[in-house]
Amino acid sequence: MQLLTDLLAWFADPANWTGRDAIPERFLEHVLISAGAMLIGLAIALPLALYIGHTGRGAFLAISLTNIGRALPSYALLVILFGVFVQATSNLTVLTNGPTLLAMVALAIPPIITNTYVGLRDVDRDLVEVANGLGMRGAQVLRRVEIPLALPVILTGVRIAAVQVVATAALGAVIGGGGLGRYIVQGMARFDMPRLLAGALMIAGLALVVELSLAWLQRRTVSPAVAPEQRPVADWRSPAAPRV
Amino acid sequence: MPEPEPLVRWDWLASHVDVLAFRTLEHVVLTVIAVFAGFLLSFGLALIIRRSPRTYGPISASAGIIYTIPSLALFTALVPITGLSLLTAQIALVSYTLLILVRNTVAGLQGVPAEVSEAADAMGYTSWGRLWRVELPLAMPVIIAGLRIATVTTIGLVTIAAFIGQGGLGFLITDGLRRFFPTMYVTGAVLSVLLAMAADALFVGAQRVATPWARTRTEAG
Amino acid sequence: MRGVPLEFRHVTKVFANSQRPAADGSAEGAVNDLSLVVPAGQVCVLVGPSGCGKTTTLRMVNRLIEPTAGQILIDGQDVAEKNPIDLRRSIGYVIQQVGLLPHQTVADNVASVPRLLGWERQRTERRVIELLELVGIDPGEYGDRYPAQLSGGERQRVGVARALAADPPLLLMDEPFGAVDPIVRERLQNELLHLQEQLAKTIMFVTHDIDEAIKMGDLVAVMSQRGRLAQLGTPAEILAEPASDFVARFVGRDRGLKRLSLSRVGDLELIEPATARPGDDAADARQRAARHAIPYLLLVDDESRPLGWLKAADIPNDGQLTADGADAASPLLELRTTLKDALSMLLDEDVLAGIVVDRRRSVLGLVTVDELTSVLRLPDDARG
Repeated sequence: MQLLTDLLAWFADPANWTGRDAIPERFLEHVLISAGAMLIGLAIALPLALYIGHTGRGAFLAISLTNIGRALPSYALLVILFGVFVQATSNLTVLTNGPTLLAMVALAIPPIITNTYVGLRDVDRDLVEVANGLGMRGAQVLRRVEIPLALPVILTGVRIAAVQVVATAALGAVIGGGGLGRYIVQGMARFDMPRLLAGALMIAGLALVVELSLAWLQRRTVSPAVAPEQRPVADWRSPAAPRV
Repeated sequence: MPEPEPLVRWDWLASHVDVLAFRTLEHVVLTVIAVFAGFLLSFGLALIIRRSPRTYGPISASAGIIYTIPSLALFTALVPITGLSLLTAQIALVSYTLLILVRNTVAGLQGVPAEVSEAADAMGYTSWGRLWRVELPLAMPVIIAGLRIATVTTIGLVTIAAFIGQGGLGFLITDGLRRFFPTMYVTGAVLSVLLAMAADALFVGAQRVATPWARTRTEAG
Repeated sequence: MRGVPLEFRHVTKVFANSQRPAADGSAEGAVNDLSLVVPAGQVCVLVGPSGCGKTTTLRMVNRLIEPTAGQILIDGQDVAEKNPIDLRRSIGYVIQQVGLLPHQTVADNVASVPRLLGWERQRTERRVIELLELVGIDPGEYGDRYPAQLSGGERQRVGVARALAADPPLLLMDEPFGAVDPIVRERLQNELLHLQEQLAKTIMFVTHDIDEAIKMGDLVAVMSQRGRLAQLGTPAEILAEPASDFVARFVGRDRGLKRLSLSRVGDLELIEPATARPGDDAADARQRAARHAIPYLLLVDDESRPLGWLKAADIPNDGQLTADGADAASPLLELRTTLKDALSMLLDEDVLAGIVVDRRRSVLGLVTVDELTSVLRLPDDARG
């Protein structure tokens, strides 16, 4: 109970809302770097995934990516990149945010590619054939038939990637990066429990908001006639979220 | 200008094999505890769901919400409550396994063909008999697939648990970062990746061993 | 164990979400007021259009479904009074998709109920071998295989073996031959009839195929879409005197032809063909074939199994017989094949005569289309 009051006091303290470690700054930092990583990740992954999903070529790539993406501990990736960056540069900003951003992008790509690939491959082949028969060109078939039908699965992949990105950004603080993770790092170093808890709660909250709002968006944009993705997370084909 | 610290100092590695081995073992133990406990809990939940299917929604949703919380946040949020202990880490680790293990166990049990369950009932299998001798063996591939994902995921999460003082390969990482000693943190990171891959391969093998009947699907008419 | 009597007394099943209104406004059941007796050792076929409640009726016997009203008695004992698990272990159950446990070998599958009953290992093993042989599956070759490695027909044979394993007095069969092709179905039907002659179990058999019902049943129970018994009688009675328009329509417009299903090939006198083996003297064979009413030679192997037909005129005047140029020897009929199926097969293949073989495929004789159609012209009582 004492902890709860301390926590509320921490949030109420104006000192935490101004200055270098101000909540708004850290929050914004976290959101921006996450959004940036997502955009880069989508820009890289989506076109590639749409291509291999539509044509069916590159299944090996999709499978390998899924397996790697799932087996790769994100903290390890972050740290390895950090080590590489340390060798490559002595610029502090690059050093602290570079590895984090790179890791975030790298971790966002597999779920997007896997899900988009699987989603497109699962579209009823008969429908694609009909669309072709109607005279639609490849890109049109993709845009008007395949993507709308694969949308639930694709959006799930994006959702998984987004949450992953937010979580990796939090970890970034451990190697000196910014964002909400800083509060956790500081809290541990100074044995400042309210600060620690505040950081943890804000990160958790942000992740949940991202997840729920993207889920809501998914429900709104997917045509009601398309069944929601219900497949059990069973084998490589299923969009399993790697965990950070 | 002092000589820059190389990425990996092989002589340090050679002289610290025992430390590496110890931390790897520690890592494995932490993982095994979490996955085992997670499996027991998930199996219990799956049985509850099997009896009353309506509980699947709430259980799955709860596990899903926990799963969404970034591990660093969950580990540290528990610290003020249960301290810097093994229990804290295990609570979080086990919680993360629930979503995938419950989902896969339920899916595996549900995946048994209806005519097989009907035949089993008609032959006079008791409800438990049917579960242990018919449904569970047939659900094995899907359950093992879930264990595979859960184990590999947990290995990754255990690296982060070092942050709340739990050791394992994550300790090499965190301590290495603190000391600005690349050899240590890079080695810790690489070893955890290798461990994850090894676990993955192990489970792929396990899957094949557990389903001898699936290997022979050739001469059907 | 020989069969025991099976009785239904005013059995009704209304499902909870049933939506069928009865005449008095209450919900009508899937099965309504069903009463019938199957004497020990007989095959009773439940037949009717889909939705008539025949499968539901069957599943009430082993209590996979519980009746809403009425009683079902096996050998005079109400099934409701027995522990359902014990009950099911004493009843054989065969379904269309077979439902063999995919993760167990054929032998283990057949051993299921004996093991559940706690039989000792040696006894179980002996029984498994005995049963597999009984249904025509080689235990040595197939015992260790998995169901996925068997064809549909083979799987169903194993299914029957499994149902018989603990020697139950009663067998329930739900469209057991529905999932195999017609040729395999015919063989399986014949083999089941053969088995039944030896085992004399009480069998309740569900089908939607009236021809199968006529062929297999000692007793036929026609059920209507309203879950009621429309008529109970022998196959001959159902065909000759349908009790209602519904039964008449269900049996179909070709009732006359269907009566051919009442008799079997074995009831006829078979014609002996002119036969010879490859390597025999050609001139002699040619002579014998030419003198035959059907001027063809049937080539057989050392075990009297048919190899092919040779036209007498095509046989060389000297030298030895070879199988070159022989026409395929089909169709093959069995003693238990109904006359209707036999006629149908001959007409399909557009041949004059069919070869009748025994279970080992050795030639027993011939049956001609003429002979079959002449049977049609006989008055009722002469047809047997």
